[in-house]
Amino acid sequence: MNATACNFENAMARESTEIARGLRRRDPDLLDRLIAQYQHRLLRYLVYLTGRRELAEDLFQETWIRVLERGHQFNDRYAFSTWLFTVARNLVIDYMRRTQPASLDGLMDDEDKPVEFPAIGQPSAFDLTHLHEQSERIRAGLQFLPAEYREALVLRFQEGMSLEEIATVASVPLGTVKSRIYRALSALEPHLKGMSL
Amino acid sequence: MKIDSHEHARRLVAWAGPESLANSDQAWLQEHMNSCAACRDFGGNVASAIHALRAIPFAADGELVSSTQLLVRRRALELQRHRERLWMVCISCTVVTVFGVLSTIALWRGFAWLGAQANLAPSVWQVAFLVFCATPALVAGVLLLVRDTHLADHVGSYQG
Repeated sequence: MNATACNFENAMARESTEIARGLRRRDPDLLDRLIAQYQHRLLRYLVYLTGRRELAEDLFQETWIRVLERGHQFNDRYAFSTWLFTVARNLVIDYMRRTQPASLDGLMDDEDKPVEFPAIGQPSAFDLTHLHEQSERIRAGLQFLPAEYREALVLRFQEGMSLEEIATVASVPLGTVKSRIYRALSALEPHLKGMSL
Repeated sequence: MKIDSHEHARRLVAWAGPESLANSDQAWLQEHMNSCAACRDFGGNVASAIHALRAIPFAADGELVSSTQLLVRRRALELQRHRERLWMVCISCTVVTVFGVLSTIALWRGFAWLGAQANLAPSVWQVAFLVFCATPALVAGVLLLVRDTHLADHVGSYQG
């Protein structure tokens, strides 16, 4: 392992330790900073998991309340984001249990309600048009995927998590994560045909 | 070429993310992709999909962030107050226990002294001591039982 990677890992470990210490103290300044830092990532994860922006926003707030209340449970051996996504995921499952007795499969979207994935921003230049079109098609394809497949995709390709980290967040074996990613991409394939440049 | 090898190749393509594949897998995949147009297309589509997935812009509402921060601060304050109250209860319980023990000892000695002054048998003043100590708890228990019965009657009449 080279020195840069080693320094990076040390910095990550130091940051996790500081976060764990702050969470045990319930330091509001630290929480403010964490909310600002993880706002987009957490909300995106929740939107992909639930498929509903409004619900995702409610769960976003609940997640941070839970982080405050259960902060002492954070183990600084793991990355904070892994724990944060696990907390958020458990809240989604709790919500699903309250509303309908099901697991994440229950989030396989309602027929009546369209899934509200983030809208694509307006491309500012011609060379973005193709990417814009691709993203629109992906968005359309995601609507037909079960929630756990969407979750695997967002954690893998948007959060850049390793397969092992995804397994930790989703509390499933590594093989299941691999299978979900493969199946998700295979299910998306009909929507991807002819997209490659 | 076997179907299995296509599936294996596609799985490797799907799993290859931020960290690269093992050298042996990479070499095998490269060789397979060179000879299989369908898997090459799949690889191209997947690469485009991942690229497009990463390109989907996403931003949280600033208002949501500030309201969450406010909510969390408020809850933190509540928890802090709750913890302070809990401390107060703990301290009160400790003080009450200490005073309870001290006063029991003092009362025991007081009853012993009174018993000696009145020339009573030890069993008599000891029973008196027990009655004295147990009376408040018994009275409170009876009162609570009466109150519960009263409430139960009310509930019963509402339900009936």
